[in-house]
Amino acid sequence: MKLEVKNLTKTFGEKEVLHGISFSIESGKALGLLGRNGAGKTTTIRILMDVFRANSGEILLDGSKFVPSRHRIGYLPEERGLYPKKTVSEQIIYLGMLRGLSQKTAKENMKKWLKRLGVEEYENRKLETLSKGNQQKVQLAQTLVCDPEIVILDEPFSGLDPVNSQILKDVVNEQIAQGKLVIFSSHQMSYVEEFCEDVVIINHGEIVLDGELKEIKRSYGQNRLVLGVIGQTAEELAEMVRREWNTIVRPAGVRKLQDEVILELLPGHTAQEVLHRIAEKEMDVELFGKYEPSLTEIFVDCAGDETQETQEDREA
Amino acid sequence: MRQFINVLKFELGSYFKNKSFVVVTILLMIAAFAAVAVPAVMMGKDKNGETQTEAGMPEEDNTAMAILDEQGIFSEGKELADLLPMYEWTVCDSEDELRDLVREESVEAGVVVTGPTSYQYIVENNEMFSNTQTVFEQVLAAKYREAALNEQGIDAAAVEAIYNTPMQSELIIQGKDSQNNFWYTYVLTFVLYMLILFYGQMIAVSVTTEKSNRAIEILVTSVNSNSLIFGKVLAGALAGVLQVVLILGSAFAAYETFKSRIGEMLAFLFDVPVLVWVVFALFGTFGYLLYAFCFGMLGALVSKTEDISKSATPVTLLCVVSLLVAVYGMYFSDSLIMKVLSFVPFTSTNAMLVRAAMGTVDIWEIAVSGVILIAACAVAGVLTAKIFRMGTLMYGNPIKFRNALKMLKQQ
Repeated sequence: MKLEVKNLTKTFGEKEVLHGISFSIESGKALGLLGRNGAGKTTTIRILMDVFRANSGEILLDGSKFVPSRHRIGYLPEERGLYPKKTVSEQIIYLGMLRGLSQKTAKENMKKWLKRLGVEEYENRKLETLSKGNQQKVQLAQTLVCDPEIVILDEPFSGLDPVNSQILKDVVNEQIAQGKLVIFSSHQMSYVEEFCEDVVIINHGEIVLDGELKEIKRSYGQNRLVLGVIGQTAEELAEMVRREWNTIVRPAGVRKLQDEVILELLPGHTAQEVLHRIAEKEMDVELFGKYEPSLTEIFVDCAGDETQETQEDREA
Repeated sequence: MRQFINVLKFELGSYFKNKSFVVVTILLMIAAFAAVAVPAVMMGKDKNGETQTEAGMPEEDNTAMAILDEQGIFSEGKELADLLPMYEWTVCDSEDELRDLVREESVEAGVVVTGPTSYQYIVENNEMFSNTQTVFEQVLAAKYREAALNEQGIDAAAVEAIYNTPMQSELIIQGKDSQNNFWYTYVLTFVLYMLILFYGQMIAVSVTTEKSNRAIEILVTSVNSNSLIFGKVLAGALAGVLQVVLILGSAFAAYETFKSRIGEMLAFLFDVPVLVWVVFALFGTFGYLLYAFCFGMLGALVSKTEDISKSATPVTLLCVVSLLVAVYGMYFSDSLIMKVLSFVPFTSTNAMLVRAAMGTVDIWEIAVSGVILIAACAVAGVLTAKIFRMGTLMYGNPIKFRNALKMLKQQ
């Protein structure tokens, strides 16, 4: 199954919020939709789910027009909410039946997912009596109760503690392993790096980067090195490189927390030459090697100024 | 269709699992049954041998009254025991004594006869429905007439007999008896009014709640919005109709059970002609649905339940107007205005019922008005579904109906 999003545009009032979003994803893979707040991730997902209509563009599934109601989709919206006054089982079975399951299957699946997510003891409790974390698990159970072919999760990790995040991570990995088509948006880059073979970074309603994560990382790391020296801060190192090694490399960035500097080789120069310079200066090297950017670094690079959130992600 | 049935079942279940709904229904059923059964049982007891008056009404304890008759109009009050035997008369010697008796509430009221045509009626608190003063005044007037006629040598008894000669009459009703039909028409229109207001609000709340608890996005991506809104509104409508059927049914069951004891006494409430039932069922159901869709629409236009009552004011007013039309129609059922209003969807619910119960209406008029009402209902349903779908993720201030229509047009 291949889902293709082609050139979506969307306007709210006078303001165009999506300016031609395109990407594709196949079954058995997960696509990470990344972007800062207000970048257009949720709008893209809502257009996919037919909550909003796009002004132009198309969505195809295996070459035909994608109509969400004709497929079993597990959707976890960003705006989470269920029926607080209803019991957990009642609402999951109801939502399962609305997505085409028989009452019997919906009940079986409900029990399976509550058990898998460790909240089976709350089956007959009203949702409002559960903790926020357990309510999130119930949300996830309702998302997956219909045994979806396509799983769309909008910010699934928000509000989850590390233990529950791990459970969600395992569940998402299982879905991918079962050949489901998974799309999810997140601010937590570490999770995206773990699941996603493909990423799409949206900024101000435009795709600024997309493709296979490994390839993106490789291309971002090309001709780049990372250097850390004991007793020197990242800024001191960068300053030294700018002053003394400016014929062979230039500082392309710093990792403040790790006191490391990212070096970009100037055309015609090699890592060997940098190594010689290090040896000449008799530096007490802590780290020297090929630069492999984290997704956060790529994200910050693509999506503009470093925000508090991305800083937090990096620290995490 | 399957989705619609799932929504309908789920929403109906919400009503039936709601303890207050069940308790209120049971209590009202008991109250309706008791309202008919208890008087019937009491009447039955009386028939079986306890004290009854000639008129068939049980004897009541005599009401205590006081009189000061210094001029001797009623032989210082002694005659009153014969003239007004339903009262226990205490003859006072002074106005102070009489006033004290009234103040102590030893008597219901006191009468100070100041002349053949004048008196003071003294009460502690004047009750709304007491007719004692009127009764006394009639006796005083009769006494005066008797004295005046006798003074002129006219036989007062003969004159009274002439005045009080009963007329022989027979009322032949060729059409409908508005006096008899008034009460059941009033009850049916009022039931419908309560049903619309009570369940309308509940339907609006049920629609808004899904926006306020953020379940709406999951719902509209799981189910067609037409199935969702129709399921929700019809569930509310069915729950209301069922409740009314059960409550009215209890009253009718009591009436049928005790009919032999109460005879024709409650016929004015329960002997409803088939045509009226048919009109009530048709216009009541679709009129109720029309209002239910309007309330559902209002629920879709707001995102907080506390905004509903404000937004619902126009529809509530329409409902009140419809009730006022019904009340007007009970007095002028065949007026031109009633004829016109019985074809207007929001008022035809009551207007056609009143015309069918108390006035003259042709079958074709019922049919045409019914079709108009059903069509209005369908339009309201579709419009509600569209507004509901459009307002799915519109949070914040309530959307004005006019703006919602504009947005729909733009879409």
